[in-house]
Amino acid sequence: MERTEILKIVKEQVELLRDTFSEDEKFVVEDEMVLFGSNSTIDSLSLVSLIVDTESYFFDEYGLEISLTDDNAMTRSVSPFNTISTLTDYIFEVVNT
Amino acid sequence: MYKNKVVFITGASRGVGLSLVKHFIENKACVIGVSKSESTFANSNYSHFSVDLADPEAISKLFKKEIHKKYKKIDIVINNAAVLTSQYSMVLPIKNATDMVNVNLLAVFFVSREAVKLMRNNDQGRIINIGSMAVSLEPIGDALYAATKAAINTLANVMAKEFSNYNVTCNTLSISAIDTDMLFQHSDSAKLKIDEIISNLPVPRKALIDDVLNVIDFYASDRSSYITAQTIYLGGVN
Repeated sequence: MERTEILKIVKEQVELLRDTFSEDEKFVVEDEMVLFGSNSTIDSLSLVSLIVDTESYFFDEYGLEISLTDDNAMTRSVSPFNTISTLTDYIFEVVNT
Repeated sequence: MYKNKVVFITGASRGVGLSLVKHFIENKACVIGVSKSESTFANSNYSHFSVDLADPEAISKLFKKEIHKKYKKIDIVINNAAVLTSQYSMVLPIKNATDMVNVNLLAVFFVSREAVKLMRNNDQGRIINIGSMAVSLEPIGDALYAATKAAINTLANVMAKEFSNYNVTCNTLSISAIDTDMLFQHSDSAKLKIDEIISNLPVPRKALIDDVLNVIDFYASDRSSYITAQTIYLGGVN
């Protein structure tokens, strides 16, 4: 699976998440949008929802059982959840391994 | 009362679980029952899955392969399945000990977290754990059983916070002694002890299934959206 395709999927999932926010909480979805940490655009529960939605999407659409929160992801010095771009890179790695 | 609701019940093949299945079916729900053994109950609105709840992978597989695809949603989960070996701690077999932790606690965790992933889609849900008076009475011989039941009280309370954004409530119904297979498996001396405990309760009788259904209906009601992180003990246990 190509990185561009994965990036498109992740951004779509973030957009779906954004749709659940009120008008004054809406944000711009872009590659470097911060997902995790003190500068994050979304709170931790929203990040959990995004992770669950993304995992479910890959299973439902491609039959791929991926876990984005296993030890491999959680023990990295640079978190895969920093931005949409880093999350895409991580999924690209997981899907193509 | 439960028309168009999808209800997921563990430990559904006998005892309280089977009574819950019949109750929800009688009230027009679509019911999914899970237990290690097969079910003898049959109804067009009932589906039974034989799953070993002590196996987290089996629970995950059930939700991914069956529930997500066939049902698309779950409105109410009742974590009823439990195993009990009443024995002094020093001689409780390892297998029985791990089974109690796996079924009574970990399965509740895994079922709840898989169910809430579906409940999020409807922005509502009810998770109800079946607890026990053993948490309060701390009977000799039930150290681990009581500990697992205490743990699911806490589990519900924390999940209530985590899931409140999705309008999912999490509560516990702690039932006192009720005439089921689980109670009958006790030794005669243990039964005498239970009878003594029951005789000292504010309402000195065993629970009836209707006592259980009454609280289940309360927790499951659409009106109970503001009732969460609560434990109700039957019979005046506190």
